[in-house]
Amino acid sequence: MVVYKKITRDNLVQFLQELTKDRILIAPVREHEIVSFSPVADAGQVDFSFQNSFVPPKSWFFPQSEQIFSFRLEEGKYELSTPSLPRGAVLFGVHPCDLKSILALDPVFDGKFDDNYYCDRRKNTIIIGLGCQSVGRNCFCFKVGGGPLESTGADIFLTPAGGDFLAEGLTDQGTDLINKHSRFFSDSSAEQIDKEKREGTDRLLKQPAGLKGDFNLQKVKAFLDANYEIPYWEELSYRCLGCGICTYLCPTCHCFDINDYARSGLEGERIRCWDSCQFKDFTLMAGGHNPRPSKKERVRNRFLHKFKYHEDRYGLFGCVGCGRCVQKCPVNIDPRKIILDLQEVAGNE
Amino acid sequence: MKGIEEQIRATSSQLLAAGDVQMVIGYGAGSDNTRTMPVFIKRAEDVGKLVFNPFCVSNLANYLLQWNNFEGKIAIVVKGCDSRSIIRLLQDKQIEREKIIVLGVNCPGQLKSGPAEAKIPVDAVLSEATVDNAGIKLQTSSGPVTFSLEEGLLEKCRQCESSRPVISDYLFGEKGFEADRADLSFNDVAALEDEPLEEKSKYWDKYFERCLRCYACRNSCPACSCRECVFDMVEPDWVAKTVNLSDNTAFHLIRAFHVAGRCTDCGECERVCPAEIPLRVLNRKIIKDIKELFGAPMPGSDLEALPVLSFYSLDDPESQN
Repeated sequence: MVVYKKITRDNLVQFLQELTKDRILIAPVREHEIVSFSPVADAGQVDFSFQNSFVPPKSWFFPQSEQIFSFRLEEGKYELSTPSLPRGAVLFGVHPCDLKSILALDPVFDGKFDDNYYCDRRKNTIIIGLGCQSVGRNCFCFKVGGGPLESTGADIFLTPAGGDFLAEGLTDQGTDLINKHSRFFSDSSAEQIDKEKREGTDRLLKQPAGLKGDFNLQKVKAFLDANYEIPYWEELSYRCLGCGICTYLCPTCHCFDINDYARSGLEGERIRCWDSCQFKDFTLMAGGHNPRPSKKERVRNRFLHKFKYHEDRYGLFGCVGCGRCVQKCPVNIDPRKIILDLQEVAGNE
Repeated sequence: MKGIEEQIRATSSQLLAAGDVQMVIGYGAGSDNTRTMPVFIKRAEDVGKLVFNPFCVSNLANYLLQWNNFEGKIAIVVKGCDSRSIIRLLQDKQIEREKIIVLGVNCPGQLKSGPAEAKIPVDAVLSEATVDNAGIKLQTSSGPVTFSLEEGLLEKCRQCESSRPVISDYLFGEKGFEADRADLSFNDVAALEDEPLEEKSKYWDKYFERCLRCYACRNSCPACSCRECVFDMVEPDWVAKTVNLSDNTAFHLIRAFHVAGRCTDCGECERVCPAEIPLRVLNRKIIKDIKELFGAPMPGSDLEALPVLSFYSLDDPESQN
């Protein structure tokens, strides 16, 4: 059942504080100039007006380093123990691009094979989405099928409205949570929220845009389907530094490595941690062969993953237009420009 | 800065057309008017892609390591700070002098991206920029934009020892930015040195804690010239792949000591760091120590002087004991 409500900013803080009684609150907080999704004890610290978090909220479901189990050898027998599941959580303040990214991660971890580490947290977490109050210079959700007030993927979605927020309970979990704490909310309607979202989106997207030109992702994909070797990738790779910024800050990148760490031969832990396809050793095999020996293959892989492979596998593009890689790439490898370039190359073929 | 841009294009065109170089590494227009990107020009007819403006922040010298097996000669655009990297790479025999042509720019100063993004509309076209001690003035298609030096200029530029390249085959631009002498005194490092141990530890912990180990600092660093990096080794895994304060701290401290004497304070590590870790402070502490303990200048300042940590003298303090 869907409910339509309104909540003042002060009440929102109180509502979040109330939620910390039963659940861990993971929310955006500004610390030393950057905004991160962190466990919050005092809801007064939550940042409501941030543009984009530094690390995407995927790190709540898929932490950068995570223990899979620990082991101990005792009297000739290995004893394994798995970490206990954290208690239920509320992930607050997820912008529409990041909501969409979680939907792109779900089929990876909760598809053909269940990744219980991801799935347990995912099932145990209520997501409160937060509409954007401004569209950043590097944002392009609206060019890849999203929008600054798109609610898909949230249990509860908040649309900013003149200092207060319109609230939609979009899933049973979300609606139950609102109903349980109804004293913080006042009534609204589907019409009011619809109107606010429509007008808000128009207003937000009126800001001047940098790179001109429309995207046609289907056309890009069709071109990539038919063209694996093009000189473009090598030229692009010249300036790539081969660092992991784009992949680590990408809300849909999900590659990991698994390592065992043992202080002695008797006890230790197995850890999984993020890995990056931009790193040299990512595809390095035990025998010394590397199927992606140079930056050309590695850069190509990143963009093929976003605009072809993810679509092939799950029917969704792997780029949600959050703009983090645009903002942070030290050498201006900008996926918006790459889409436009590929469209141009495709047109010339 | 238009003049510098025109000179870079004209010289690059001549060099490429005459076959004196086979590639020019310079700056090209970025996807945003407050950014540029490295470009690799191989044909004289493409020199129009080269630009020079106050957003040419990156140090292109790093790419000489990538291209050190390039067949032919390379011309490379360098600012004052970047030119020190060329010297250090030559001293370490990472590159050959006769295979490069240095296109030096008397650097007018470079701008921080944050304040620039806040003031320059995304659809504006930048036409001219001047930086002097009075401030920064930009002409754009949506009107003039001004910044004070404190507001707009990169910290490394305010602390610049030499905006004039210390090595160049061609030199463009009349006069570079002259830093205030007071800003050259390593006051920032001294202030942190004076803090009690626990405070220093807290200062670095808060930053190292959020390091992602993306290795952008290492990969952008012209002083990081090892073919195989200790942090990439799996067997033995000197530093674990897990990200935590202990391993992150080990990474940054090992790296700082590895580049000691080769770090020229070009500032790339700090610029590229997505977590905004003030890495220059770490490297500048070592540069300050080198200056104080050995009386040696900033690494890369003098091609003829032997690099301070790469030779041995009987007058060294260690020899006295």
